[in-house]
Amino acid sequence: MAVDRAIVRRAVGDAVPLYVPAIPFSLVIGLAISEAGVNPLAGWSTSWLIFGGAAQLTLITLVGAGTALAAAVMAALVVNARHLMYSAALAPTFQNQPAWFRWLGPYVLIDQVFALAMLEEKTDPVAFRTYYLSIGFTFWALWQSTTALGLALGPVVPDSWNLEFAVPILFLGLIVIGLDKSSKAAAALVGAGVTFLTAGLPNRSGLLVGALAGILAGTMIERFRP
Amino acid sequence: MSFVIAAVVVGIGTYLSRAIFILALANRRIPDSVLVMLQFVAPAVLAALVVAVLIDESGSAAIGIPELAAFAAGGATAYKTRNHIATLVVGMTVFWVVRALV
Repeated sequence: MAVDRAIVRRAVGDAVPLYVPAIPFSLVIGLAISEAGVNPLAGWSTSWLIFGGAAQLTLITLVGAGTALAAAVMAALVVNARHLMYSAALAPTFQNQPAWFRWLGPYVLIDQVFALAMLEEKTDPVAFRTYYLSIGFTFWALWQSTTALGLALGPVVPDSWNLEFAVPILFLGLIVIGLDKSSKAAAALVGAGVTFLTAGLPNRSGLLVGALAGILAGTMIERFRP
Repeated sequence: MSFVIAAVVVGIGTYLSRAIFILALANRRIPDSVLVMLQFVAPAVLAALVVAVLIDESGSAAIGIPELAAFAAGGATAYKTRNHIATLVVGMTVFWVVRALV
């Protein structure tokens, strides 16, 4: 089967500009691996094992902060639960696709791929497949490269710059940019407040208590708002 | 459990969360009540993470004036520009400048 090069070119052209905002994120992951004191190769392997920035950063920074591995794993998995929505939304489009693609496609189903793929769901199956894999693996290749770059930069950056502070700043940016209604702001505030109040719990499990409280608060407000 | 095993577990869990409806439950819909909850996962967890990484092992907050100033500036920048790069640059710059001053 010949690959339609025009579709590949268009896909790469769509993917690269969307990747630009992810570049600092990937560099921070590389730096966080150095800061956390995990083996660099093991830390970088999260880029292809997980291929999800927020979950990678969660796992790496929590482990670096001395969190029990099980709690860090739980937190990273909760962070990535939003992908369930993407999976459900794209499932109909994947139904007339071959099995190999239904197995491979989800591996690269990151936020940007979801956003672009939803715009293409009406195209014919072969064109969709070409487009999806082209954007997916463009993002994948860029992500592997720039996280490796961040890892290489990590030891070069002086400790006195306190670049690890970029992690909470980045998370704060993700929260604020994602806020499109007041119930989400409430979820964030309750999540932060309860995590602070439960900071004394063993293994930093307060993080999960806080996250759960935030999710419940947002849900309650959404449900009972007049 | 070593870090690599933890990464593999998160990797498998992440793959499953992306694949489950595409592979297995194509004809099922996520109940509306679950969809309502899922939209709050990101803000709640990320906010909890911000606090968690700022708390040291003893449970007290490792945060001072430079950090607070950086959060205020970074948050305002994110709100105004919706841009991750600008947020990071402004937040870190304010952090360094205020730290040098106080």
